[in-house]
Amino acid sequence: MSRSEFTVADAYTYDHRSTLRWLQSHILRYKGLLFTFLLTTLGMASAQSMTAVTVGWAFDSVIQNEGRAGLTAAALYVVAAYVGYGLFDIVNSLAIRVLAQRVERNARDELYLSLLSKSQTFHGQQRVGDLMARATNDVQQISLFVSPALGTTTESVLTLLVPLVTITTLDYRLLIMPILFLIATYFALRRYNDNLSPVATQLRATFAEMNAGLAETISGIEVVKGFAQEPAEEGRFTHNAGAYRDAFVREGEVTARYVPLLLYGLLIGLGFGHALYLFMQGIVSVGQVIAFMALLGTLRSPIRFLLRNIATFQQSFASARRILEMILTETELDQNEAGVAQEMVGEVVFEGVSFGYGQFASGEFASGTSANGETSLVLQGISFRAKPGQTVAIVGQTGAGKSTLTKLLNRTFDVGNGRILIDQIDVRDWSLDSLRGQIGTIEQDIFLFSRTIAENIAFGARADVPQAEIEAAAQQAQAHEFIMSFPNGYQTKIGERGVMLSGGQRQRLAIARAFLSNPRILVLDDSTSAIDSNTEDQIQRAMHNVLAGRTTLLITHRLSQIRSANLILLMKNGRLIAQGTHEELMAQSAVYRQIFVRE
Amino acid sequence: MGITGGLNPEEYDRNYSDRELVRRIVRYFRPHIGKVLLVAAMVSLISILATATPILISRGIDTLAANPQLQLLLTLAAVITVMGALSWGFNFVSLWFSARAVGDVVLALREDAFRAVMRRDLSFYDQFASGRIVSRVTSDTQDFATVVTLTIDLLSQLVLVLVIGLVLLTQNVPLALITFAVGPVVVIIALVFRRLARNAMQQAQRALATVNATIQETVSGIAVAKNFRQEAAIYDDFQDVNELAYRVQLTRVAVFGSIFPLLNTVSGIAVSVIIYVGGLMAIERDISVGEWYLFVQGLTIFFYPITSLASFWSQFQQGLAASERVFALIDDEPLVVQTANEPVGRLRGEIVFDQMTFNYSTGRSAVLQNFSLTIPAGETLAIVGHTGAGKSSLVKLLMRFYEFQGGDLLVDGRSIRSLDLSQYRRQLGLVPQAPFLFSGTVAENVKYGRPDATDLEVETAARQLGDGSWLEDLPNGLQTDVGERGARLSLGQRQLVALARVLLQNPAILLLDEATASIDPLTEAQVQDALATVLQNRTSIVIAHRLSTVRAADRIIVLRDGQIIEEGSHETLLAQGGHYAELYTTYFRHQSLEYRPW
Ligand SMILES: Nc1ncnc2c1ncn2[C@@H]1O[C@H](COP(=O)(O)OP(=O)(O)O)[C@@H](O)[C@H]1O
Ligand SMILES: Nc1ncnc2c1ncn2[C@@H]1O[C@H](COP(=O)(O)OP(=O)(O)O)[C@@H](O)[C@H]1O
Ligand SMILES: [Mg+2]
Ligand SMILES: [Mg+2]
Repeated sequence: MSRSEFTVADAYTYDHRSTLRWLQSHILRYKGLLFTFLLTTLGMASAQSMTAVTVGWAFDSVIQNEGRAGLTAAALYVVAAYVGYGLFDIVNSLAIRVLAQRVERNARDELYLSLLSKSQTFHGQQRVGDLMARATNDVQQISLFVSPALGTTTESVLTLLVPLVTITTLDYRLLIMPILFLIATYFALRRYNDNLSPVATQLRATFAEMNAGLAETISGIEVVKGFAQEPAEEGRFTHNAGAYRDAFVREGEVTARYVPLLLYGLLIGLGFGHALYLFMQGIVSVGQVIAFMALLGTLRSPIRFLLRNIATFQQSFASARRILEMILTETELDQNEAGVAQEMVGEVVFEGVSFGYGQFASGEFASGTSANGETSLVLQGISFRAKPGQTVAIVGQTGAGKSTLTKLLNRTFDVGNGRILIDQIDVRDWSLDSLRGQIGTIEQDIFLFSRTIAENIAFGARADVPQAEIEAAAQQAQAHEFIMSFPNGYQTKIGERGVMLSGGQRQRLAIARAFLSNPRILVLDDSTSAIDSNTEDQIQRAMHNVLAGRTTLLITHRLSQIRSANLILLMKNGRLIAQGTHEELMAQSAVYRQIFVRE
Repeated sequence: MGITGGLNPEEYDRNYSDRELVRRIVRYFRPHIGKVLLVAAMVSLISILATATPILISRGIDTLAANPQLQLLLTLAAVITVMGALSWGFNFVSLWFSARAVGDVVLALREDAFRAVMRRDLSFYDQFASGRIVSRVTSDTQDFATVVTLTIDLLSQLVLVLVIGLVLLTQNVPLALITFAVGPVVVIIALVFRRLARNAMQQAQRALATVNATIQETVSGIAVAKNFRQEAAIYDDFQDVNELAYRVQLTRVAVFGSIFPLLNTVSGIAVSVIIYVGGLMAIERDISVGEWYLFVQGLTIFFYPITSLASFWSQFQQGLAASERVFALIDDEPLVVQTANEPVGRLRGEIVFDQMTFNYSTGRSAVLQNFSLTIPAGETLAIVGHTGAGKSSLVKLLMRFYEFQGGDLLVDGRSIRSLDLSQYRRQLGLVPQAPFLFSGTVAENVKYGRPDATDLEVETAARQLGDGSWLEDLPNGLQTDVGERGARLSLGQRQLVALARVLLQNPAILLLDEATASIDPLTEAQVQDALATVLQNRTSIVIAHRLSTVRAADRIIVLRDGQIIEEGSHETLLAQGGHYAELYTTYFRHQSLEYRPW
């Protein structure tokens, strides 16, 4: 069992040993539907063959002047066969389509759950676009795999085989041409499959490239226009779209050369010739020739279906592989359910902590590692101790590793070397629930969900928080007033990525969100940079009260806040170069003094 | 990305008449007329062969029933075989050339759509979500291709219907009429189906869009969910949405899953009727056995195109709707239009806002009202004011990102409406409030405005900022991969890259919109030194966030609701004790060392 940050007790387990088995286990979960589908397919193929044979009877009875009785009987049989076929068909197509929808739903559910269970390291490395492609297009592709591809292929194979059996009932010698045809078709299909595979891959890759490139250009349109780089972007897009066009044409060329269709054309002529020859020998009747031709006619649509299905199969397998790859990506964190779950007091100790973003790197993600592997460490040998309730300010140049340091505390990432203790217990020994539940974070990049303001504030707390508590939190964060200025108040929906709100407003909502979750340890990463002094005053006062008794890690540009912290950590290039109170550092550190002489 | 795939109508959408739509589509195919005609010819030939085969077989059967001659029969079989091979050959030629024609047409359409998007000013991007724009350019154009392939398919089937219909009529009128009688039945079923299918399809797509949006949001906000340990709650939400989508899909499945069996059964009953009636006629010798056979086969051939017409119709309409969306995107006009393309040399940098009036969109209150401001060449101007006062808007207007409604904006005495936009923008250097980085290395991002810059120039520009020690913090220096949107850099680092990018461009006018907001106090001090030299000999507009920046400016203007309410130097303004003094206490007090709110 792989490690995971989040699991659900009653989740269905699928077979992850290979792509094929994974698909199989998804489909076999609904054996009833599958069985119904197979049975009705068989019924359909039989009904179809029966139609062809009875049509033959009808002809024979007319040619041999058997009168109306034979004809009437044959016609009634044909009606019965068609109606039977229709009934089988309806059950059949519903069964396979419902199966497809279930598989799609379950695959999506499985992927989603596995995404939730992955650590932040994993998510940090993923491109959102790529992940979304897997969760949307690839999952839909899985449903196309079941229906129509698997459905019509099973049908095709049975409609190829059942007529053969039926032909035997006419005369076994008629089998020669169809069997030669099937053998040739088998090899032709294999070749077609081999030819199509690389082209299909290319088609998909070029489309993804074009899409991603365009998305980036549009996201950065202000920069594109600001630097008048439209021609360069157009060149890039034209290049990508051209690559897709080339792949598209190549796919067209491969499908144009679909040999089974040629074989089928030959089969009709040669089969007819052979049947005529047998007729001349007096071996078969006219009716049998007609039935034989009708049976050959039923082979037409399977051959056409296979043309499309082979492409779908290939795409589906590629999609399934990508989904499974994502599900199987190892994550290095575990939710540690059995770990310590107790009320935190709030003592924080770092002991010789080192960390690098490349430390878990597996192939694809290795940009944090340089050739000698040394510079890959973002933090090196960090040690400090914060008593419960203390405020620790972290100071240092941009990129020194301040934000990274705070992310180790709630195990967004795990340390490479050394350890971090909260209340004398290694963070890795805490239950993840308990750990994260008691550490509140306000990030630099504030993310709000496109839900109502009330739901956003209540996000971190338990379900059904009373409105009064939400409002109290908003009041503490100085957000109540501006929230009430919206026509819908707390029920206002926030737009895409919270764009409706100003930076300061978003920050205050994030603060309210953190307040409401009532954490023992608070991490504030530059969370008040875009707020004016008045608001800042109010928030600071609120914070001052709320922070009392809570250990706080603080990254800020406010000199006054730095100065009044209990402990100041001065970082440079991933190392802790000095620590102490403001007065101590002013006395000891030239770098530290430099910050303050400017003002 | 097709996530919420251009399902919902946008404001610029319009309805094209069918004729207009066809005209537009045809125009794209005109350059490929040769290929199109060839494909059409091939497709017709295939249809004719498809009809000829059963006719020949029926002749063969007649010969069998009457007086079988081996010679004749073998010739017949040989002809049918050759026709099978020919049909494949025609099919090959038609697919080969239609892939080229369609590929080229879609490419042309995509390029047009892309160019149309690039032409648009920023008001367009404010209004429409980027995912939607992307899906119009990539997915909707793809659906357009589907229309074309389907049209070719449908046309060929229509030819087939006509040919086989004629042949049947020449054989026997009553039987032919019975055969044609199924047509209306199928059409009625198809019409009912179309309505159901359309509804079911739309609902299914909406449900899918909701599921995908939910996933998208989870993926983007996963850090928050994890910090608050809310996985269970959002998983519950997801399951609800996923289940709902499944249920909606079931409706679609029920509609689409029953239509073909239904149509097949109708055709089966028709076949039985033909067999019976035809059989009776054959008994009476009204028709030959071969003709009877031809009708039985002909019905199937006749039927197939009609059912597929019915089933592809919704796909076809979807494709048409997609084409409509693409054309609407292409046809919409940008608001920013230049009156002339006067060349722009190196600018001196004198800027005059002359009685300018501006709002972001009609109906909104004006952001600027008769706004006048003169900035002499070489001046460093600081703009301060509350959030929403219009500071960023001034800068964006200067960049000509938006069209203004009244007055004029003159640079070096010329209206910016008359200038060559590319050349003009290259003279301006903007560091926006939120820095955007493209995926790639730091160096590539610094070079963005000047792709031809040498490594040395890039390095020099980067080192100008804060003694360059920020480069040492990057794991691979200038070659560090910044990740998607710069996610692998800290926020401050992203701003430094954006600054270096502008420095390398060496613009005549520098526009800094709170450009150092996320940079730490240590680096800030050093960046200020660098900026001081850069700002010295060029016109600069600095929207200040930091006290130190404001102090260093030649002149400060205080903006409120789009009006200048005070101007002067830091000392004089502070001494006046007016709005600036108030702003100072509001915005900058907390940046000072003595600040203590409680
Ligand atoms: N997700 C990430 N992947 C790889 N490298 C990162 C990532 N986030 C930050 N870094 C790198 O780690 C270093 C420290 O970043 P950070 O902790 O954000 O700095 P600070 O908060 O002090 O500005 C920087 O060099 C940055 O490039
Ligand atoms: N893209 C936009 N679309 C519509 N309104 C906008 C847009 N950008 C800003 N505004 C509005 O214009 C006014 C001025 O905004 P802005 O220039 O960004 O102010 P500042 O930079 O001084 O904070 C505000 O009322 C703001 O809501
Ligand atoms: Mg940071
Ligand atoms: Mg602004």
